[in-house]
Amino acid sequence: MAVITKERFTELVLQYERLVYTVCFQLVREPGAAEDLTQETFLSAYIHRESVPEGYERQWLSRIAANKAKDHLQSAWSRRTVLPGEEELARGLAPPAEELALRRSAAADIQQAVRELKEPYGQVCRLCLLEEQSPEEAAASLGRPVKTVYTQLSRGKRLLREALERSGRHGIP
Amino acid sequence: MVFREDGHLSGGALEALAGNEDRFDELERLEIAEHLAFCDYCLQRYAMALEGGALLAPERSCQKTLWPRIRGRALRLAAGRYATAAAAVTLALTVLWGSAGVETARPVLPEDRPSVSRQLTELTGEFGDSLRGTMSGLSNFFDGFRPGQFIEGGNHS
Repeated sequence: MAVITKERFTELVLQYERLVYTVCFQLVREPGAAEDLTQETFLSAYIHRESVPEGYERQWLSRIAANKAKDHLQSAWSRRTVLPGEEELARGLAPPAEELALRRSAAADIQQAVRELKEPYGQVCRLCLLEEQSPEEAAASLGRPVKTVYTQLSRGKRLLREALERSGRHGIP
Repeated sequence: MVFREDGHLSGGALEALAGNEDRFDELERLEIAEHLAFCDYCLQRYAMALEGGALLAPERSCQKTLWPRIRGRALRLAAGRYATAAAAVTLALTVLWGSAGVETARPVLPEDRPSVSRQLTELTGEFGDSLRGTMSGLSNFFDGFRPGQFIEGGNHS
C-alpha cells in the first residue's frame, strides 16, 4: 500500500476517467448516471486513497466503479420491486408465511425447484435452504461477502416462489 | 448464460459486457455488478477484456467538478470533528463544574482543587492542540486544490 499524493491522484483521474466511465456505463446503461457514478467512484477513491494497492490502480478503480454501479442498480431495483410489506424480504429475511409454506410443502418439489435455480442464486439457496447453513456460513463457503449472500438469498427466494407459483407444483398462496 | 455453474461469470457474458453489447436486462446487470464487486478473478478477466476494446468517453468530464466535491466533503468532515470536540469539552466542563445544577463529583478536599484545575487546563490544552492540528491539516489539504491543477487531455491506458 502507498499513500497517493494529490498530484498522483490528479494523474489517476486523467488516466482512468474513461475506464471508470466505461465500467459504470456498461453496467448501468445510462450516460447521465454513469457520469455521476464516475465522479462518485473518484470521490470514494480519494477518501480511501491510503488503501490503494500499488500497481493495481486499474483493478482498484474498476472494483470501486462496479460497487458504485451495483449500489445504483440495487437502489433502482429495490424501488421498483419491493412492495409495501415486503421490506423484510428485501433484507434477506423471508416472511413467516413463506417460511411456513416452505416447511409444510412437499419437500421433493421444493428441493427440485431450488436445484433448478440459476446462478448466482443456486449455490446460495442450496446451502441455506437445503443444507440449512446460515448466510454467514454460506458466505464463507462460497467466498462471497455476507451482505451479498443475504441479497442473493432474498432474491433467490423470490425467484423460487415465482417459479413454484408458475409451475403450480406447490400450494404456496 | 450469464453465470457458469461454478458461480463465476461466463466468458460470453464478459465478452458481451466489455464489447458494450446491450443484451442484459437490469437484473442481469445488477447480478454482474454484484459479482464484480467482490470477485477478483472475474474483475481481472473483465479488465483484460476491456483492454482489447475502445473505452467510452463521458460527455461531461468529472475533472472540473470533482475537486469542489472533495473540498466540500473535507469541510464537512472537519466541521463534524470540530463539533464533536466542542461537544466533548462542553460535556467535560459541565460535569467538572456542575453547571447544569447537578451535584457531581466535585473535589471535596481543598488539596484536590489544584489537581482538578490542572486536569481542566490539560483538557483545554489538548482541545486547543487538536483544533490547531485540524485547522493546520485542513489548510495543508486545501493547498493542493488551487485551480488549474488539471491538465487537459491525457492518455487513458
